[in-house]
Amino acid sequence: MKKVVSIDIGSTWTKGGLFVLDDSRLSLVKKAAYPTTQNNLVQGFTRVLAKLLDKDDQASWPQLAGEAEVYFSSSAKGGLGIAAIGLVPDLTLNLARLAAMSAGGKVISSFAFSLTRKDLTELERLQPDIILFSGGTDGGNTKYLLENAHRLKDSKLICPIIYAGNRSVAEDVADIMQNKEVIVTENLMPEIGQVNIEPAREKIREVFLKRIIHGRGLSEIVDLFGSQPRPTPLAVLELIAAIPGFNPEWSDLVAIDVGGATTDLYSNTESYLETDTVVLKGLREPRVKRTVEGDLGMRVSACYLKETGRAYIEERLQEMGIEINQMENFLSKISMDSGYLPTTETEMRLEQILAETCIYYAFLRHAGSWKEVYTPQGKVYVQTGKDLRRIRSIVGSGGFLSAGFSAEVINHPLDKLRHYGNEYKLLPEKAILYRDKDYLFPLLGNLVEKYPAEATALALASVEIINEEVERHA
Amino acid sequence: MSDKDTIILGVIGADCHSVGNKILELFFTSEGFKVVNLGVMVSQQEFVDTAIETNAKAILVSSLYGHGEIDCQGLRELCIEKGVDPIILYAGGNLVVGKTPFSVVEEKFKKMGFDRVFPPDVDLKQVANLLRKDIQEKFGQARQKEEERSL
Repeated sequence: MKKVVSIDIGSTWTKGGLFVLDDSRLSLVKKAAYPTTQNNLVQGFTRVLAKLLDKDDQASWPQLAGEAEVYFSSSAKGGLGIAAIGLVPDLTLNLARLAAMSAGGKVISSFAFSLTRKDLTELERLQPDIILFSGGTDGGNTKYLLENAHRLKDSKLICPIIYAGNRSVAEDVADIMQNKEVIVTENLMPEIGQVNIEPAREKIREVFLKRIIHGRGLSEIVDLFGSQPRPTPLAVLELIAAIPGFNPEWSDLVAIDVGGATTDLYSNTESYLETDTVVLKGLREPRVKRTVEGDLGMRVSACYLKETGRAYIEERLQEMGIEINQMENFLSKISMDSGYLPTTETEMRLEQILAETCIYYAFLRHAGSWKEVYTPQGKVYVQTGKDLRRIRSIVGSGGFLSAGFSAEVINHPLDKLRHYGNEYKLLPEKAILYRDKDYLFPLLGNLVEKYPAEATALALASVEIINEEVERHA
Repeated sequence: MSDKDTIILGVIGADCHSVGNKILELFFTSEGFKVVNLGVMVSQQEFVDTAIETNAKAILVSSLYGHGEIDCQGLRELCIEKGVDPIILYAGGNLVVGKTPFSVVEEKFKKMGFDRVFPPDVDLKQVANLLRKDIQEKFGQARQKEEERSL
């Protein structure tokens, strides 16, 4: 029997779980949490570890080390801020954004074509943790890339720049930006339509390890326990990526985490099935994909949600017969106190509307769509983006959804979204809903690299079903 | 990556004729071009975006369902707007409906900014030769200069 600890250092809470591994079966023993100690992350980390191992609060490190294998993740001051640079918005820029999000980062801004002076001022103001610089197929465009390399060279930016553009000028780009830390990797789009985001994702992870966590005590943890942290969202993504391989009946799944600051959506399903009547336009998106939305959150980002989701919120209030000013009051309450929890029946419904709004827009942006086109050869559907119709399971994870929700919270926004303008959104048509009731997904994500079969099995054993399968029609 | 010239193929508009498109891809690849085939139902935007990313020398637009004229209008202008205007534009297929003489069709498309226009029964070998010649004429000098600089 082996003790395994997984800890996630979030922006407000450091959460951990103690697991035992017995005969290749992983089970949860207990969980613990402590407010994240921002200045020195190790303090909070040690507290949680001591609690999990039943040690004294003041236990020293040598006492804690050696008791269990320790794995951990960190959300790095509320997210790894990545600025994405690409050439054409629908092609390389779109891929750069996708790569950044799939690496566990947050796209804080994105730029197409030539960087202008205004763009650079914006970049300098934002101070991204990483710049992901792409553009051109291999052997393709060089003009914009060289131009942008010169502009970046002349900027005051100090963050690492990952170059994942046209291979033909990779060396020139690195030469031009000698005054910066440039990391060259494979092109995100070596050929038109060919998606190659893995190498860039790996580099983002390396930079995260080297640069972002350095200096806040995390390197001590690395030295002591010999395991390296990963960005929290990446841990979840790795779990979602691993589940189908060990559990074939879970071959097509989505996980959604509606948090206080962001809404994260993870999908694992084939993005396009070729048929005679469906033509894919644009990129064929990867099977495993994450999107994260900084304007969709139930507390810290509630002020943005109010703007983004106005239409949905107002329609829903009307349906439920709640006055708009009640929502206004609730919103001002939660923006003043992000720890506020609803106390009345009405407030609980308002909270539900906010969650539904996050889910509506998260699916709107993550899922692709079909447009009907009549051609002389008959009716054809033009698909853009990712097809989520075959999703069989949707797992709600994170604060709001882990606590428990009714099927309506996910089904209502999905049904509303199905016909969006003149498009048919490619949403799950027949999915079973679950909740990650102990909020174990991020913790299990940390264990996936070492114990994939065991961690995915426990993840699925710990989810609770929300409703029976319901057939949904377009 | 190679020194091959990149060309873009595609069937424009709401046109799903895919067989000829695949033949063109095979043919031009065997003729030594680097072919980026966008397939059927390609929009002008898609052609031009692809030209930007790939630095292509030519776009070969096919149209077989008779609406070619409407679909192709403004493609040259879009290339100019997006800064890929030296690019060579060819059009071929059943470009218009009815029995319009080919010379009229050709003139129409040339006015729209296409460098060459081909009827459905054209000998592909001839097209490939013309394409090589046009690329040499339009891009040859620039290429020579580049080579001299790098020496």
